[in-house]
Amino acid sequence: MRSAWPTAAVFAVVLAGGLLAPHDPVAVSGLPFTAPGGDHLLGTDVLGRDVLSRSLTGGAGLVVLAALAGAVTCGIGVACGLVAGWRGGWANRVITAVADVLTAVPVLLVALVIAIAVPGPVAVVAATVAGGAPLTAQIVRDATRSAKSAGWADAARCRGETTAALLVREVLPAMSGLVVAEAGLRFVLGLQLACTLTLLGFGAQPPAADWALMLRENLPGAAANPSAVAAPALLLATLACVVALALRSRRDAEVTA
Amino acid sequence: MTDLTVRGLIVHDGRGRAVLSGIDLDVPAHSVVAVTGPSGSGKSTVLKAVLDVLPPGLRRTGGEVRWAGAPVAPGRAAVRWRRRCTGLLAQDPVSTLNPLWTVERLLSEVEGGADAARLHALDLDPAEVLQRRPHQLSGGQAQRVALARATAGDPALLLLDEPTSSLDADTTRLVADLVRRRREEGLGATLLISHDHEFVSALADHVVDLGSTGSGFTPPAAPPPEDDVVLHVDALGIAHPVPLLHDATFEVRRGELVVVVGPSGSGKTTLLRALAGLHEQYTGLVEVGGTALAPLPRRSREHLRAVQYLPQDPFAALNPAHRATSAVARAARVLLGLSRDRATSAALELLAAVRLDAATGHRRPRQLSGGQRQRVVLARALVAEPRLLLADEPTSALDDRTAEAVLGVLADHRARGLAVLAATHDPRLVRCADRVLRWRHDALSDETTRHPTRGGTTR
Repeated sequence: MRSAWPTAAVFAVVLAGGLLAPHDPVAVSGLPFTAPGGDHLLGTDVLGRDVLSRSLTGGAGLVVLAALAGAVTCGIGVACGLVAGWRGGWANRVITAVADVLTAVPVLLVALVIAIAVPGPVAVVAATVAGGAPLTAQIVRDATRSAKSAGWADAARCRGETTAALLVREVLPAMSGLVVAEAGLRFVLGLQLACTLTLLGFGAQPPAADWALMLRENLPGAAANPSAVAAPALLLATLACVVALALRSRRDAEVTA
Repeated sequence: MTDLTVRGLIVHDGRGRAVLSGIDLDVPAHSVVAVTGPSGSGKSTVLKAVLDVLPPGLRRTGGEVRWAGAPVAPGRAAVRWRRRCTGLLAQDPVSTLNPLWTVERLLSEVEGGADAARLHALDLDPAEVLQRRPHQLSGGQAQRVALARATAGDPALLLLDEPTSSLDADTTRLVADLVRRRREEGLGATLLISHDHEFVSALADHVVDLGSTGSGFTPPAAPPPEDDVVLHVDALGIAHPVPLLHDATFEVRRGELVVVVGPSGSGKTTLLRALAGLHEQYTGLVEVGGTALAPLPRRSREHLRAVQYLPQDPFAALNPAHRATSAVARAARVLLGLSRDRATSAALELLAAVRLDAATGHRRPRQLSGGQRQRVVLARALVAEPRLLLADEPTSALDDRTAEAVLGVLADHRARGLAVLAATHDPRLVRCADRVLRWRHDALSDETTRHPTRGGTTR
């Protein structure tokens, strides 16, 4: 559990960072693309807004959206995987067929098509589900299939447990490590898609403070104030790394538990 | 001299609990030293700590291992020492064979492994086995290949982890001969981990006991069975997946312990699974308490409670996510309809009866030893207050003291009317039985009726 603290701290800073911002993140407070120094620790952006304040503010929306997308994706994938693995037969064939088709279509293409039809955040969630849920479902299905013949599943059947109780109380806890890992991976996928759609102009809209939007807006002035691009890019990379490391340390902890 | 000296070996687990506290061990050259102890006493951990191959989560926090007088530091020095001077026959040796490699490659990995004379001595025909992969060998052959790997080049120190519990009788005999030859010809020292008293006393020059195992095994007494028939089986036939049993008729009475014995593979497990409702393809009539026993999906609540099944592999039978106490409490909640609190106290009571304390009950299966898991599974079956217990090898993996405790608990419940049908190879369990059903080809014959010699008189 010790390993959970750094992750929690990073998420707390990302979510509540706006409270630490020295300037209003959407107000113009200087000349465009001022180099770092003086009042602006990381300089100013394309419209002369404070980069530090915008960086501190710009992660919360992304993280919330990615977490929502990851949770919905993982929930749908786990539910489909459990049903397909446990019931087998036609349920398995239908779910596997749908999953195979979705896996075969490039996720970015799906995301773009959806983004044209619906608002950005909805598109991010829908595209993450389309891209991630089939993978989760397949992994959970295989794990469920092997759990079906496990001795502890026999024991639960001999107690007369209902199928629902068996899946929720026995199978799901037995694969909790797998489910958490899947949730983490789908969170990262949600983060990627949220950034991609924003970069392409479908996600967060100006003047919102958003890391992906900052990359898009500030790229032309990267020579004058590199930190206007480097800060959000570094923060995004850090967030993805922290999640990956947390998953890794959890897996190690499971091995030793 | 090439001898092993261990002083003050301490091992802690991830939560800072001491698994081993200050073990001393002397294995003089050409001697045989055995480490014994009840299950969960850390026998295997001693061996792993000496070799510096502790699993993740366990740390050696103190002590010294010396080989031929010079200390062996953990890490690279220990790796070199292991390769050069030691051979290990692990607890489940077949699982250490790479399934993708041929026997020839497996053996040539170790120096002198593919020596033909040595293979013949181990009852392995090089022409037959060398080109095969582990899954193409019989269980006994695979065990002997693992043994050939462990003993290739006559290591100065041979380590054997529970050789009697995982090896078949022939391989066990080969191991015993080999250990004797090593001592007589001065080929090297042997360190042996086992809970089998007869095996240890026949071989070892010196025994290190990690906690008293008691001396020998005393079968617990139980009152003679009553006349009430609990299980009535009439013309039972099992022909799937292969013809196993034809027209078997037998009864088990209240308080009776009936054991089914027969060669492995004869179908003892399938018989118990059929009665437990897990194997549906059988013919004939099975009655419990006078009413027909339906296969699982249609089995009545009363029958679900009254018939409990104790599978052979307790590790697989326990959900890795659930703590021991909650696994037992869940059975009490579902089968007896107890409230959460009362189910937990019933679980703790039964765990105490099989000699597991509350702290052990708080662990998950992975943190329990083999014998502890067996007792958790037993507690889970007994908490439902069944009328019939179907037990598959309930004592085979247990040391004498734990087997005695398990059979004692069974005797207590039999005194209160529990009927037990057990499949086993274990002579200790057969000694306690009221009746023995022997499996010959596809028929069961009642072999003995020996009430008078049972119970108090065998003490």
